Order: sequence, then C-alpha cells, then structure tokens
Amino acid sequence: MTSPSLAISARNLTLTLGSTASPVTILRGIDLDIARGEVVALLGPSGSGKSSLMAVLSGLERASGGSLTVAGADFTNLDEDGLASARRGRIGIVLQAFHLLPTMTAAENVATPMELAAMADAAPRAIAELEAVGLGHRTGHYPTQLSGGEQQRVAIARATAPRPDLIFADEPTGNLDAATGEEIINLLFARRAETGATLLIITHDASLAARCERVLTMADGVIASDTRPALAAPA
Amino acid sequence: MSLPISTAWAIARRDLNARFRGLRLLLVCIFLGTAALAAIGTLTNAIERELASSGQELLGGDLEVEVWQRDLRPDERATIAKYGTISSGYRMQAMASTPDAAAPIELKAVDAKWPMFGRLVLTDGRSVGAPSGTDAWIAQTALERLGIKVGDSFKVGTVTLRAAGIIKDEPDRLSEGFQLGPTIIVAQDIPAKAGLLQPGALYQSKHRIAFADPARDPEAIEDALTKQFPTAGFDIRTRDRASPGADRFVRQMSDFLTLVGLAALVIAGIGIAGGVSSYLDQRRSSIATLKVLGATSGDIVRIYAMQIGVAALAGSIAGLVAGVAVTPLLAGALQGLLPVESGFIIAPGALLLAASYGLLVAFAFAAAPLLRARTFPAMALMRSGIVPLARDWRALIVTGIGLAAICALALLTTAQPMLSGGFLLGAGGALVLLAGLGWGIQTLARRLPRPANPLLRSALSNIHRPGAPTGALVTALGFGLAAFVLLAAVQSAIDGNIAQRVPKEAPDYFVLDVPRDKEPRFFALIQQDFPKAAIRTVPTMRGAVIAYGPKDKMVRVADLKEIPEGAWALRGERGLTYADTLPQGNSLTDGQWWSPFHRGEPLVSVDARFAEAVGLTVGDYLTIGILGVERTARVANIREIDWESMGFNFALVFSRNAIADAPHNLSATIDLPEGADTAARGRLLRALVKEMPSSSVIEVGGILVEARKLLQQVSLATLAAAAVTVLAGLAVLMGAIAAARQARTYDTVMLRVLGASRRQILLLQLAEYGLLAAVLALVALALGGGLAWVVITQLFEFDWLPDWGEVLGVLGLGVALVLAFALAGSLPLLRAKPARALREL
Repeated sequence: MTSPSLAISARNLTLTLGSTASPVTILRGIDLDIARGEVVALLGPSGSGKSSLMAVLSGLERASGGSLTVAGADFTNLDEDGLASARRGRIGIVLQAFHLLPTMTAAENVATPMELAAMADAAPRAIAELEAVGLGHRTGHYPTQLSGGEQQRVAIARATAPRPDLIFADEPTGNLDAATGEEIINLLFARRAETGATLLIITHDASLAARCERVLTMADGVIASDTRPALAAPA
Repeated sequence: MSLPISTAWAIARRDLNARFRGLRLLLVCIFLGTAALAAIGTLTNAIERELASSGQELLGGDLEVEVWQRDLRPDERATIAKYGTISSGYRMQAMASTPDAAAPIELKAVDAKWPMFGRLVLTDGRSVGAPSGTDAWIAQTALERLGIKVGDSFKVGTVTLRAAGIIKDEPDRLSEGFQLGPTIIVAQDIPAKAGLLQPGALYQSKHRIAFADPARDPEAIEDALTKQFPTAGFDIRTRDRASPGADRFVRQMSDFLTLVGLAALVIAGIGIAGGVSSYLDQRRSSIATLKVLGATSGDIVRIYAMQIGVAALAGSIAGLVAGVAVTPLLAGALQGLLPVESGFIIAPGALLLAASYGLLVAFAFAAAPLLRARTFPAMALMRSGIVPLARDWRALIVTGIGLAAICALALLTTAQPMLSGGFLLGAGGALVLLAGLGWGIQTLARRLPRPANPLLRSALSNIHRPGAPTGALVTALGFGLAAFVLLAAVQSAIDGNIAQRVPKEAPDYFVLDVPRDKEPRFFALIQQDFPKAAIRTVPTMRGAVIAYGPKDKMVRVADLKEIPEGAWALRGERGLTYADTLPQGNSLTDGQWWSPFHRGEPLVSVDARFAEAVGLTVGDYLTIGILGVERTARVANIREIDWESMGFNFALVFSRNAIADAPHNLSATIDLPEGADTAARGRLLRALVKEMPSSSVIEVGGILVEARKLLQQVSLATLAAAAVTVLAGLAVLMGAIAAARQARTYDTVMLRVLGASRRQILLLQLAEYGLLAAVLALVALALGGGLAWVVITQLFEFDWLPDWGEVLGVLGLGVALVLAFALAGSLPLLRAKPARALREL
C-alpha cells in the first residue's frame, strides 16, 4: 500500500514503443517515490527518457510494465480514458510549446480544465487565476495575440487553476528568451508555493535544477542519480 | 464521468469558427446534396399534387370513355348518362387548308357543355367555352402555317370555318397526350359536315362524364362499364389517372433526378469524409491538448460531433432554402410540358426527406474520421504530425449503419426500388473498388524500385508514405471523374436518341384515311411531282382484343385482374390490318404465312413479344372486336417485328378474309427523295386536301421537332439537376487536392531549401497527379460509362448512343481541372523565398 505522504510511487516502470518487429525500450524499470509538495528537477541528455518518464507519471502515456500510483490513484491498469479522467483536477501540465487552444481566449483556456473537472465557478476562477499571473488585462485575448511569455503564463494559470496535487512542467522555458524564461520560472515556483502542489520540472538548466529540492538525472532509460542539492551543498 | 452536454457544447462552440473555417467542404457538400434533393423532391411533389388535384380539369370530367371509329350506341349512352352529365366530342387528324396553303392539324370537336371543368383561354384574354357554328379556336402554329389571321376563313374537309380566336390555355390539353399537329377546336357537328366521320375513318369519339354524385368512385364505375360492355372497345380513364403518360413520365423523371441527387449526396459523402478528416487533422493539437487537460475520448467525440453536426445542420438548412428557391426555375424549364404551379412551393415531406438524407450522409461519412480521432492517445498526437490516426473498426460499423439507413430511406421512398437499389449498390461497389484501387496503387508504389532521381523518388514516396492521402485522393478523384463521365454519357445518349436515329428511318409523311377506291389517284398525285417517291399503303382499322388462347380455353380480357407484363396489345383498341404477304421488315419465327388466295378459316399473325407475354402459340385463337362486332381468327404464325423501322407495324395482321369486309380506309407512308423542294411539298399537300378532303397528313418532321423540343425541355431540367452533381464533384475534387496539398507544404518548402527549382517542384506535382489522374480516368470511364448504360437502357429504355467524343472531352476537362488546381495550389509556396517559407512552417 502506498504511503499517503507520497505524491508519486512507481515500481519497476517500463515503457516500450514501436512495432513488435522492432520495439524500442524507453524506460527500463524505474523505481521512484516523490513526496507530496516536493519540487523535483529531471535532468538528462536528449533521448535519455525524461519526457517519456514525465508522460508516464502524468498519465499522458500508459506504462508498458510496472506499477504506478499518482496522487493516490492507481494508474497501473487504467486505459486512455481512465488516465484522462484521473488527470482531471489532479494533475496540471505545462509544456514547452505552450499548447494553448488557439480558438479560445486566455480566460476560456484557463477555464477549460476546471469545466472538464466539473468544478463550479470556472469562469470567475479563471479570471482570478489570470490576474494572479499578471494577465488580468489579457483575459479576452487569443493565443495568437499574446507573446510567448504571455502564452506560457496562461499555460501556468491553466495548470494551477484547478488546484492540482501535481504540476508537471516539460522544459517550460525552452521556447523563451533568458529574461522571459527567468520570469516564468519565478512565476511557476510562486504559484506552486501558493497551491502547495508537487512540482516535477524537466530542464537542461543546471541553475534551475539547483533551485529544486531534488534532482533526478536520467540516462539511457534509467535514473542514473538522485541528489538533493541542498544536502550536497558544501558545509 | 462523461462531460455534461452543456460543457461539451461550451467547448465545442468556442472551438468552432463562426465562418466554419475548416468545415467548409462539409458545409458545401451537404448544401449541394440537400439543395438538389430538396429541389427535385419539391418539384415532383408539386407536379404530382397538381396532377392529382387537377384531375377533373385535366381530364375534362370525372371519367372519360373513348371509342374508335364510331359513336356511342344508344344503350351505351343511356348507361353512362345514369352517372351524370355527358359532354361528347371527337378527336382526329385532319387537314386544314386555304387556297395557298395546307397544314396537318389535330381536330377537336366539342359540344356546348365543354369544358365541364376549367375554361379555355384565348390569347386576347377571353375565357370561352365551345365554339359555335363555323367558328373555330385555332392554335397559333396552325394560323402561321395557313398564313391567315383571326377572322379569316379556312377549310377542314369540305367545311369552311372561321378563325375566331387563338388558343392560349386548353384546360384538358395534358390528357390528350402527344399531339401530331396543332389543335383546332370546332363545334361537335363540324366533323360530320366535313365528311370526316365516314365509316372506317380513323377518329375517336370521346365522352366525358361529370358525376351527379361527386363522391362516386370513378374506378368502380370504370369496372362496371367494362363488365357491362366487354366487347365495346372502350378506353376508359378516370380523373385519378387523367394522364397516365404524364404520371409515368413524372415518375421516371423523379426517379432519374433522385438518382442524380443521390449521386450528388454520395459524392458529397466522399467530400465530407475528406473534409472531416482534414478538419480533425488540423485539430490534432487541440484534441491532444483537451486530452491532456482531462477530456476522455468520448468527450472528444461529443465535442467534435457537435461541431460537425452544427455545420451539417447549417448546410442542410441552407440547402433546403436554395432548393426551394430554385424550384420555380426548374418548373419554368418544364413549362407547358407538365402542370406545375408557378411561384415558390413548400413541400414539407420532400424537404424533410432532403434534410434527412443530408444529415444521414453527414453522420455516415463523418463517423469514421471522428471515431478514429477519439482513440488516439494524447502523447502520440503531440509526438508527430505524420503518424496517421489509428483505424477503428467500430468506425466502419457506424459508417455501415449510416449507409444502410440511407439505402433504406432511398428504397422506401422511390417508385422503382430495384433501380434505386441497384444504383446505390453500384455506387457502393464503386467506392469499394476505388478504395481497393487506392490501396493497390500505394502497394505498387511501395514495391517499385526507388528511383535515383530525388524528385521522382519524392513523387513516388508521396504516394505510399504513412499518412499519404492517396486513398482519399483516389476515391474522390475517381468518383468525381466518374460522375462527369456519367452525366456526359447520359446527356449525349439522350441527344443521340433524339437526333441520330429517328430521321434516318422515318418517312416524310404518314397519311391517314385514304379512301380505298382512291388509291390509284393517291399514287398518281404524289408521283406527279415526285416520281421517285416511295409510297406504301396498308388497310387500317381499329379494334380491341376480346379473348385469346386455345380454342376450348380462351381467356377473356375483361376477366383478367391485371394485364400481363408485356401484353400491351390487350389494352384498349389498336391498329389492325390485313395482308396477303408477310409485311416488310417482319420475319417469321414460327408457323407459315397464308397464301394470297386464302379463303379458308380466318387467320392471324401475331407479334412475337406479345405472343410470349400472353402465351399464344400457333394453333391458338384470337377474338377481336371491330365496331362492336366480334371476329375470331386462328394464329397461323408468330412474327418478329422491327419496331424501329418507323414504318407501319402492326402487332396483329389478319388474313384478308378475316376483316377486309369491315369498314376501313388505307393508311400510307410517303418517303420523298432527298432534298425534295419545299414548294412542291406544299403543292402536294394542297392537292391531297383538295382531292381527298377526309384524309389527313402527319408531317413526321414536325413531330420530330415537337419531340425534340419536348426532350430538350426535359434535358434542360435534368441538366440543371445534374449540374449540382457536377458542382459537388468539383467541390470534392478541390477539397481532396487541398487536403493533400497541406501535407505537401512541408516537403515543398524543404525541397526548395535543399535547392530544387520551381520548375522541378511543378514537374514533381505534375508527375504525381498526372499518374493518378491517368489511371483514374480509365477507371472513371468504365464506372461512369457503366452507370450511364443502366440509366439510359433500363430507366429511360432508350438506345445506348453516347457521344464518346463528348464524353472523353468532358473527362479530359475534368483531368485538366484536377491538374490545374493541384499545380495552382503550389504556386504561392513556390513564389515565396525559401527562408521566409521555412519560418512560416
């Protein structure tokens, strides 16, 4: 039985993609526990399996083997629809390419996950969330009318609005310039602190990793190292 | 937990562009298909309603009794008079003449009670009844042929008449059937005075009854009269079938036009499938994002089904409005041919049917791409744009259910379920064939050796690579091109039947009621000016088949519940003749011809098709009634008749001793030499009128002009309806090419970045589409030609006479359009500088 203090508990997690004739193993037996409220960075070279691990942990991808519990829900045997339902209200995701819905305004984008989770007062809460990320004056704008930084703010607001247990961020500053990226990271951390959610960030940025409580480094489909920068700091 | 409908609608509404961008092909296809069916259904409904409700006016009564070559006997008249008021008259071919001109006419003689329903309207606005004295109401064409004006005199037979008014609207015109000359309406006693009612003359006496009790059932009275007078040779029509010919024509037209509409819908379906696939492909990112945010696959289906449903509904409503709006135009094309009210017509049943078809087609063809989209995992959608959506076999089941519903609806609402069913099966088979062909082309392309030339290599791989729209292109292009071939073949075959076949074999004139004793003079008159004219005369009288079969087991026609299929000769009265030798153009299939000097048992020769239909063989007997007298003859032989020789052909030919003593005249055909002088023709007609005033001449050329005009009106109406199918085909072609072009954008830009010239890119497109179009043109020719054959020979029962030059020309135009559109779409990309195009990718 999983401890209630754990946000994520994974045992022997594997992921194999491709055809049966030529399968490709992306994740090779991952064991991982992440406590509630932890802020975790996920590092590793391209092709190490970072995005795939995040996809599995966030329920975007079904694991090929092993067991997985996320925010108290057993993801192991859920199908695609089950995973989608499990994500509602429980998991917020911020992606590198923002992935806002182009035909909806900023406010509608933020309201959508709350509506999907059948939460009351989605519209006013969306406005409030946008104000919290500094976009109270852009609620009626469409994504094409927003800058890259503004779009990512909307994405953050969308991810945090339902007050999820977990937030996953896959290279959230990858498409932004350094200054804007810094602002976004600060915002992400601030929103996480306010909501108390567990945060898992994929990043190449060592300085960002240093701001996290825990750093997992992946290599070739396994977790090669699991360090705590604060503990590793020189005395 | 499923998304509530209101939430799904909120999300769907936000994502749906107000101008339906991305769903326009679906909208256009539904619009065209629904508009076509709405217009066709509304028009035929209106015509059928008019035929049904105006039956009394069209027929001129509740019931009509028609009999050849005689008037009603006193007992017959007394029986009919019991049911109500009788209005009697005559109808016959005759000649009208002045000292300078002669014209074949259709003479209609009416009594003072005519018309019992409706009014005759003259061109000067007067609404009149029967003419009196020697006044005549005359058709404009007759006036022109005679070179006279209102108030002038002219002769018919031996009587001088006065043109008292020009006919504009004749209330019972439609029930008279096809005219062999312009109409002149005179008082009832004129034909007798003009010497046109001699014994043996070919005329009809018509007696219309207006029931004293309007609630009487006309069919019951028809049955009663037939039973009471089984040998009278009555031809009876009721107000419910005032014009059986028009009914049949409307039904055939309706069925053909419905097939055209269904063809438009099937093509629309292909467009819808392509359009929805393309739309959902463009929505991959949004679908993925929604799934990331927690939408299940069921939610995705609900959201996008709502969008597609709204677009389909919008297209259907617009189509219904357009269909109602164009109906008056179609009605205008059929003016004078069929009764139809002017102005806008709303036929709720027809509109509901059209909308049902439109929405069912949307459902059936959108289901597959919609259900495919639901099953794909969020991560895979976000991973790569070229990975195709996974096949979902449930989608095929849903599509199958939709298609079955469409077929069921078509079969339940058509008058010819077998034909419509055959057409739909054929269309379905064509789609399956094309889908298979698409797969075959892709497989072949995959297996061919990779060309060294990078452009050729690219062209080939474009056909078979994952996600290649080859299947959709092949289906859309194949069906679209086949539709062009179908329509071109049908139109040209109809034109061919009108223009090519008849004039070669038809004589210049038919002459009726040539007195037997004046036959030598008749020949002399013609050969005076035309020594090389081919003249043929046959004795002609009218009679009806009373009974047939083996001697001891003869079947009486009056006892038959229904006429056997193909036994048309049992219906009413028909032309009868006698001959000493086998008629020209006929050949014996069984039995022997009698000697010219035969004096024994009366004999008869029977048409092979009729004999087969009623089971007559050599040795059986046939009883006919002529002028109320029964005569029986033994079947001596069975004949094969070449009905298309356009000469005199009779289903029943008797030995001289069987019927020659009945009162009768001769009918004749006159074939003038090529290029016969018009003035000499006019002289001949006037001479015939002068010497044989009771004879009447039918100008075949004039009939053909009328028939051509008639068929051209029909052709125009069908072309208008068929144009919708062509438009739908074009929309689908353009949509398929546009969708394929989007997939090519990336390749085109990258090839330019890598150094390919614009000319090379264009050649690449040309190679790819040219190859596909060439293969599909052959397939389209076979498919479209086959379907056209079914329509022409089975539905219209015409000869298969398409103009292959026209068909190939239309097909070539279609292929040229495809290539032009495919190339045109690439031009903007080719004009942009590679760097800029790369940024915009």
